[in-house]
Parts: sequence; structure tokens; C-alpha cells
Amino acid sequence: MLGEKLDPRKVFGKAVTDLAAINQSIVVFSADSGKSSGFGEFSREYSDRYFECGIMEQGIIGMASGMATVGKIPVFCAIAPFVTARPYEMFRNDLGYMHQNVKVVGRNCGITYSDLGATHQSLDDFGLIRLIPNVVILAPQDPTEIKMAVKAMIDYAGPVYMRIGNPKIPVLFEEIPFEIGKGRLIQDGDDLTIISTGSMTATVIEASKILEKNGYSVRVIGLPTVYPLDEELIRSSAEKTKRVMTIEEHYCDGGMGTMVCELLSDTKNVTVNRLGIPKEYGTTGEYADLLAYYHLDLEGVVQSAIRFILEG
Amino acid sequence: MKSISQVQGCRSEKDIAGSNFKIKSDQFGYGLPNMTELEIKATKCRLNVIRMLQSSGHGHIGGAFSAIDIVSALYFYKMRVDPKDPQMENRDRFILSAGHKCMAQYGVLAEKGYFDKSILDTYGKLHSMIPGHPDMHKLPGIEANTGALGHGMAIAAGMAMALKLNKLNSKVYVMLGDGELAEGSNWEAVAAASKFGLDKLVVFIDNNELQISGKVVDVMDMRPVDKKFRAFGWEVLNINGNNIFDIVSALDYSDRTNGKPLMILCKTTKSKGLPMGENDPEFHFWKPSKEDLEKAGRMLSKRIESLQAGLEEVV
Repeated sequence: MLGEKLDPRKVFGKAVTDLAAINQSIVVFSADSGKSSGFGEFSREYSDRYFECGIMEQGIIGMASGMATVGKIPVFCAIAPFVTARPYEMFRNDLGYMHQNVKVVGRNCGITYSDLGATHQSLDDFGLIRLIPNVVILAPQDPTEIKMAVKAMIDYAGPVYMRIGNPKIPVLFEEIPFEIGKGRLIQDGDDLTIISTGSMTATVIEASKILEKNGYSVRVIGLPTVYPLDEELIRSSAEKTKRVMTIEEHYCDGGMGTMVCELLSDTKNVTVNRLGIPKEYGTTGEYADLLAYYHLDLEGVVQSAIRFILEG
Repeated sequence: MKSISQVQGCRSEKDIAGSNFKIKSDQFGYGLPNMTELEIKATKCRLNVIRMLQSSGHGHIGGAFSAIDIVSALYFYKMRVDPKDPQMENRDRFILSAGHKCMAQYGVLAEKGYFDKSILDTYGKLHSMIPGHPDMHKLPGIEANTGALGHGMAIAAGMAMALKLNKLNSKVYVMLGDGELAEGSNWEAVAAASKFGLDKLVVFIDNNELQISGKVVDVMDMRPVDKKFRAFGWEVLNINGNNIFDIVSALDYSDRTNGKPLMILCKTTKSKGLPMGENDPEFHFWKPSKEDLEKAGRMLSKRIESLQAGLEEVV
């Protein structure tokens, strides 16, 4: 139901479990992380396909790769930095270089593990994984997209990294088929294009309503796929509004905003403003307080947009 | 019929020696002449390595030559593989975790007929199918892209888990270097293989005792390797990894099914078969002169001739 708030991990786990009933190739790895990833039911229903390995993320990426060579579709979900930064070389070589059909899901992404600090926050995962050739990066924006993205990533033959958060997020969209690499034009406008991804999109939609009320016409694009970028949609939007503001729960450096800048670097008369988190070790506290501190709350987004439109 | 403890050069553990295991080699007709045949194969594979070095001018010969007797015996004696159908579903798998020893595997795959030997002359050249570390997308018969150390055992464990799930009785063999054991990631796989009861997983440690900086025991002493594996719940054999009879005996033994993964600690000689480089860490990576290469080639050819002569005599 639109507006209903749901736990992204439970939505994710259920989506995988539902698919496992019809797809016998799906197997799940847990690094003492399965139950917190929504795999309680999977572990009971499909115990022969559920592999609890303990806290060994490097080993699991390797084992998942090996399983995939035999035709399995391993899904491995744990706290985002522990499936990206920690086993990075395994991700690069065993999944990327070997191009294995493994689905790695980083949960509690961005700063959603706000009070646990920099060790548990993932502000570099887009940047790290996008440098591994041919790995799809998904960041679904609401519970509906999480469900549809899970189906799309299972259907896709190759390595995928998906990131999801932790706090409950509102249902924003009706169910439509999920196409990897396709962005979503959420609202049309002329003054500014705002491109967001993941759970930031909910805030951007709210912000765009406030901006409209104040007389600013904003084009809103949501990207459930960060790699490959929807180049056509981003280019055409940039050419239309000339101003592009990117928003992500990630470092300003190296993430989606950087990718958009790279894409638009040969587009004349377009200015890009990147919102995100400065490249420093994240501070701690309540999630809402951190978002406000990094100007990624509703007020921060609205103010940044107005400043950009007025001051260029 | 001998028990494994009576095999020449084999330092078997008490628990293995005490088992009822008997060598099956004779059952398969692998008496003495066949051992010689396997030795000839391994020597031909060494010649293939020399050919690759002629192409590139350099390569990791030390580890390739210490490991090649095992790799050769795997492909020519043991593994269920078909060079004409490298993706055969129920094939056995071999993963060279210590990917820098790849010339050993290339030499064996060429000899087995996976690819035309003329490809050996592309080693070190642009876009070669046989790069300095194995690439599964370039060469048939390669199962994993190894080279970064400490990856192979986890990949192999995953393969064994999936094969078990698919109820296939294929085996998964992995070769690691002894220096490689310092990589912590190996021990994650060692623990997992034991937990999941992967008795179709067989790991060879190429224990040539040397790595690029010197003696393994000086660089990072991981001994006692056998006891460490056993403490994790593995079964362990100690063999001479350059002795064909030892290797064959261990490979026969590896067919047991007891729910435990098997580690075969193979005492080997670095650069075995290249007298000028044996036991010399400088030969970890070799840039030979033309003369040295020719000399090595002549010597190996001579060795093949002499083994061949011995074989004819016996027959």
C-alpha cells in the first residue's frame, strides 16, 4: 500500500524466499548475518540450501563463486562494508573477474547504522564496486522496488551488488517490471534536475513538493540502478534543465554523483552539484540527526536546491 | 599390494597407516611400467614449460617444476575429465590456487590435448590464452581465475558444496603453495570445508619450503601444517610430491568417503628437474639465458629417452 512503511531487510528476505520456491538454484550464505537479513524463513524452509558459515565474509565470497561455477545462484547478505570493503579482492577476482552469478547484498547501508560508527557505515560501496568491471549495482528506492529488483537480479546472469538500508521506508511506487539500468522519471520540471538513489528518493519527492509550492519547477529522477547508469535519461534531463543535483547516502566522491559528473563531462553548459557525505569518517548518533548534520534531511535538500537554482 | 605406509618415500600418518587402505594401482594395471609412463608424461610437461619460457623469456619455474608431477598425475592418472568436453557436468575440477605455477598446468593441459601446443609459443605475448596467471575465460580447462593467493581453497570448497548439493560425485582438487598458507583467508575455507563435510575436496600443499624471499620457515613459519589441518577436522597425508608412486597412492586413497576433507602435504623440491635451480629461491622467477634454456631442454629430452628405454626393456 502506498505510503506504508516497511522494513527493507524483511521485504528483501521474503522476496528471495518466495523466488526460492520456484528456483531451486537459489542458495543463501550467511556470515552469522542471515536472520538479520530477513532469511529466517528461508533457513527453515530450505535448510539444505542455507549455508551458515560464521563471520567469514572473504571465505563466503570465494565459496559463493565456486558454487556459481556449478550453476547455483548464491545470495549473500550482510552489513554493507563487510561484503564490499572487507572482501574487496574476493569480490573483484572471484565474482567480477570470474564473472560469476552471485548476488551480494549490503544491508544497513550508508549511515543507517548511524550510532555504530564508521566501521559499520558504508559510504564508499558504490565507489568500490563500480571500479570492478561489469558488476551491476542496484539501490532500490522503496519496498516495491526492492521486491522487483530481487527478481531482476536473480534473473540477470552475472554478479550484482545491491544495497539496502535498515530503518523502515515508505512504499513510493506501484509494482512495475524492473529493468536493470533504467531510471525512473518521477516528476517533470524545468529549473533543476534532482537525481537520487536508494532511500534518499523518498526525501527528494517530499522536497520537490515543497519546491513546487515555492515556485520552483523540479525534474526528479530516481535511480534504482547505479551501474549501469541510465545515460539517456540523465543526458536528456541535463540538457533540458542545465542544472543537475545528485543526492546519495554515500561520499560525494566516487559514488553516483561522480558517475553522473563523468557522464556529463562532455555536455556543454551543464552544472552538476553533488550532495552526499564529505569524505571523512562518519560521526555517530540518531539516524535522523546524522541526516540533518550532513544536510541530507528534507530541509537540507530543499535549501541546497534553492541555493543551486538561485546562485548557480 | 602394499599399504600406503610401505610406499617408498611416503611418510604417512599413523591413522592412515593403521587403516585398511590398500593401493589400488595394480588393480588398474598401474604397475611399474605405468609409473614410468606417468613420469615420462610429467617430463614432457616440463618440456612444455621450457617451450613457454622460450616464448616469454621469463616465468615462475620454481613452483611450476615442484608442482608439475602432482598436476600431471592428476590429469593423466586420476581426474575424470575430457579435453574435448571441458565443461562436462560431472567432471572433476582442478584449481591452481597458487596461480603463478600456471606453467605447470598449461604444460599438462597441452600434453592432455586441451589446446594445440603451438599456443605454448604465445606465453608472455599480447592477448595470450595462457597468461601469467590462469584465466578461465581464455583457456578451456581452467576452472577459476587465480593468482592472488589465498582464493583457491574457498572457491574449490564452494564447488564441492554445490556438487554435493547436486548429488554429483565429482571431486575437487586444489593446489596451494606452502608460502600461500600465510594468507588468513585460507583458514576460513579450511574451517568451512570441515563444517560442511567436503570429503570430495582434496588439497595439495606444494611444500617446496621456499618462497621468493627465502625459506618459508623464516618468512612465516606456519608449521606444523599437518597438525593445524587435522585440528580443523581434516584428514592429512604426508607424501613426497615429486615421487609418482607416492602421488598415485595418495590419489587412490583420496577416493575414500568419510565426511572429512583431505589435505596432502607434498614435500617437493623447488625447480625439480632443473638441476641448476633446484632448491634455489632465486629460481622462484627465472629469466634464463638462451643457452641455459637449451641445456634444460636437452636434459629433459634425454631424461624422456632414458625413461622410454627403461620402459621398453620392462615391456
